[in-house]
Amino acid sequence: MDHLDPSALTRLLTAVVGADRVRLPNDREAFAARVIIEPANPQEIGEVVRKCESDALALAPMGASRTLSQVRRQPAEVGVSLARMDNIVDYEPDDMTVVAEAGVTLGVLNARTALHSQRLPCDPANPELTTLGALVGAAKSGPFRLSEGGVRDLLIGIRFVGHDGRLIHGGGRVVKNVAGYDLMKVMTGSFGTLGIITETVFKVRPLPENYSLAITSFDHVADALAAARRAEEAATLSHLEVLSPSFGDKFARPGRSVVFAGFGGSRTEASYYRAHLSNALKRNTQMLAGDDAIANYQQLRDLDFAGAAIAAQLAVLPADLPQCLSACGAEFRAHAASGVAQIILPPDRTNDEISDAVGRWREIAHEAHGHLRVLEARSDVRANLDMFDQPPDPAMRLMRRLKLAFDPKNIFNPGCFAGGI
Amino acid sequence: MGTDSHSRVDSRLIAELREIVGADGVTSRATELKVYECDGWTMEKTAPDLLVRPRTTIEVSAVLKLLHHSKLAFVPRGAGTGLSGGCLPIKAPVMICTSRMNRVLAIDLANRRIEVESGAVNLHVTNAVKAQGYFYAPDPSSQAACTIGGNIAENSGGPHTLKYGVTTNHVLGLELVQPDGEVAELGSPVDERCGYDLVGAVVGAEGTAGIVTRATLRLMREPEAHRTLLAVFDDVEAATRAVSAIIAAGIIPGAIEMMDQMIIRAVEAAFHVGLPQDAGAILIVELDGVSAAMDEQGQRLSELILAAGARTVRLARDENERAALWKARKRAFGAVGRLAPNYATQDGVVPRTRLPDILREISAISRRYQLRIGNVFHAGDGNIHPIVLYDERDPSEVRRAIEAGRDILKACVEMGGSLTGEHGIGVEKIAEMPLIFSPDDLMVMTELRRVFDPDERSNPNKVIPTPGACVEVTTPRRQAPL
Repeated sequence: MDHLDPSALTRLLTAVVGADRVRLPNDREAFAARVIIEPANPQEIGEVVRKCESDALALAPMGASRTLSQVRRQPAEVGVSLARMDNIVDYEPDDMTVVAEAGVTLGVLNARTALHSQRLPCDPANPELTTLGALVGAAKSGPFRLSEGGVRDLLIGIRFVGHDGRLIHGGGRVVKNVAGYDLMKVMTGSFGTLGIITETVFKVRPLPENYSLAITSFDHVADALAAARRAEEAATLSHLEVLSPSFGDKFARPGRSVVFAGFGGSRTEASYYRAHLSNALKRNTQMLAGDDAIANYQQLRDLDFAGAAIAAQLAVLPADLPQCLSACGAEFRAHAASGVAQIILPPDRTNDEISDAVGRWREIAHEAHGHLRVLEARSDVRANLDMFDQPPDPAMRLMRRLKLAFDPKNIFNPGCFAGGI
Repeated sequence: MGTDSHSRVDSRLIAELREIVGADGVTSRATELKVYECDGWTMEKTAPDLLVRPRTTIEVSAVLKLLHHSKLAFVPRGAGTGLSGGCLPIKAPVMICTSRMNRVLAIDLANRRIEVESGAVNLHVTNAVKAQGYFYAPDPSSQAACTIGGNIAENSGGPHTLKYGVTTNHVLGLELVQPDGEVAELGSPVDERCGYDLVGAVVGAEGTAGIVTRATLRLMREPEAHRTLLAVFDDVEAATRAVSAIIAAGIIPGAIEMMDQMIIRAVEAAFHVGLPQDAGAILIVELDGVSAAMDEQGQRLSELILAAGARTVRLARDENERAALWKARKRAFGAVGRLAPNYATQDGVVPRTRLPDILREISAISRRYQLRIGNVFHAGDGNIHPIVLYDERDPSEVRRAIEAGRDILKACVEMGGSLTGEHGIGVEKIAEMPLIFSPDDLMVMTELRRVFDPDERSNPNKVIPTPGACVEVTTPRRQAPL
């Protein structure tokens, strides 16, 4: 497709949705899109989609523009910001369901549900910047995925704008529903490649009771990972993280590998788990409760990889994680019981070193029947990196057919998903 | 559609299939095929022309390649316990049954995974790891017979769905034989997807994506202890208030089940478990967790339920009492058989807060059609199972029972609910799909299905209504137990 300059794009889009819906990207957004539109409803998105299809313009959905600006090699022509679509449409605490537009942030949603001692338990970093559209589109998760599940387990309904500007919905607003194909699963983790998500329906859960956090640290990573394994056997945990030594100073344990075991329940349950965890972790375990526990958890959840030359997510079987992390030889935050870890390289690495490291990490992941995804990469190395693993054929072929069925003109965030989709 | 007529099932095809699966793996005699003419939804019956029972993925693949070449449609079948006619052959001459593929292939307790063939029986999966303190969570009432492959097709639930989730939450990887015979590995034992979530698209696709031959499932650790409560109420309104009170207190029990007066009386007459005959409604509520906390939590739950207006709350004192309560619940449908010659059940869902409204509406429908309707259901999920009593010898009652069932479903949809919580669309509810989905929604779902099955030869004429393919329901809905 021919690249239009931003002013030509602006004119073209203004004709579709009006001048007050079109703007130029800010610094953060510049890697994601050349021009940003801010539609107020799905119908306006539908009109833009039809225009982009007829003019072969690539468009990408954006929340706070953190996900795509970290992985796109070149900006898409049109960024679809959901900033104006930020209404919590319906929240019924007794049903434990919430309907919200895709531009609502997790922070805003959970501030509302907290009034009824509930929350959407997806907990990626920085909830105040994470829109529900980004949460679903990138299948973001955090420590609590261990006990509460991921986006795919909590999303019960969805609306999106598909090709030809069609307004599509799947699922509903009841917690148990098997009517029709599961469009929620198809859209979760599709990175904007199948359509623009406009509304989400989630199950919410009670806020954790008596949330507590056991913290302990070790000189050696292997000892920390072994301790995490014991903690998992000792108690039903809310979450379980291990940090490599370079992160230790953020938790007043410089140079040490830190283990975090979160737990809760009734007062009796919490004290039962506390006793079992003390026993399993033994030496110098610090037991936090109340605000101290929450503050440490939030810091753990929001751990910042910005500035790293590269951050990638390794996913393997939980029991294989220690060995894979040791083979990778990089600093990490591990969700130990889920077999998922974010691994990073420090900023001083050269492009070749980064490419080599990612290649090696991929081999390690694949040998363990797992996979690796690049989360963030310095812009100058992206051209030589695949952000996603390519699943083997038949599966990859089915994915290409899915993309073709949902996006026949290849306009939805093309070129940065698995297999070059 | 690339589907052809039955005439293509000829002796040559039968011979070729026998080459693949062995002589004992192909059945073509009409008398033997009669067993396969329906599942748990018995209102419509059609036997396949041929039944094929492969033993391996390689055989399934070879069979599907042959059918692809012959442009023949097929229906996958597990144990045939489905409740929506999902494995009823409609313009699909060949049925492929996974009953000979029932092995547990690998148990990996360190990672809490189990790999099984799709014909493995649900309960056998739990039995394989029970001694080590693990279980497979989805527990449909047919779990002693139903297969994992069938559970995957229907995205089956069970009484403990409220806390543990349904099938789709527990399937990590699949081996899918596509309708053209190609074998695809979807997902993996790893807890993150790579690319699109194709596993999520296949689970609940009601067998329209091909034949699942293997699955990697998540295992859960068995809770240390249970507490099961029986709460008695003067009316269903008070019982639904108690459900709301439990949820509002931030408690997620393993299960919350409700029965109304008609069902209580039928159950008591049949099983004598000590349910008060004058009660308007009862709740069975089950907690699970660590032993040390159970007494405290049981106490708290009892107080909540009493405060919400229960007449009495009784705690099952031991495993025998707990088993008796669950027996009463799971056999409630059998007990109803004593009240009328026939009964038909529905599987609708409403938002939990609308339970009093839908129950009032069901009473009104009962009066309007002059039919008795009882209720036994998963209250925690808002998943209702009204039971309409009728006598099939009275054509007027039959007609009224059908209309009452449809009115109940429509009321569910009007209250923001759904047509089915756990039994699937199958052929039973295909005509009602436009009540909740627009033509564009249905078109996108069809496009999704064609990603896996471009010719629509795998379980054709299911889930999505197409002109001329709908089954006209002329008798009331099923009477199989839930």
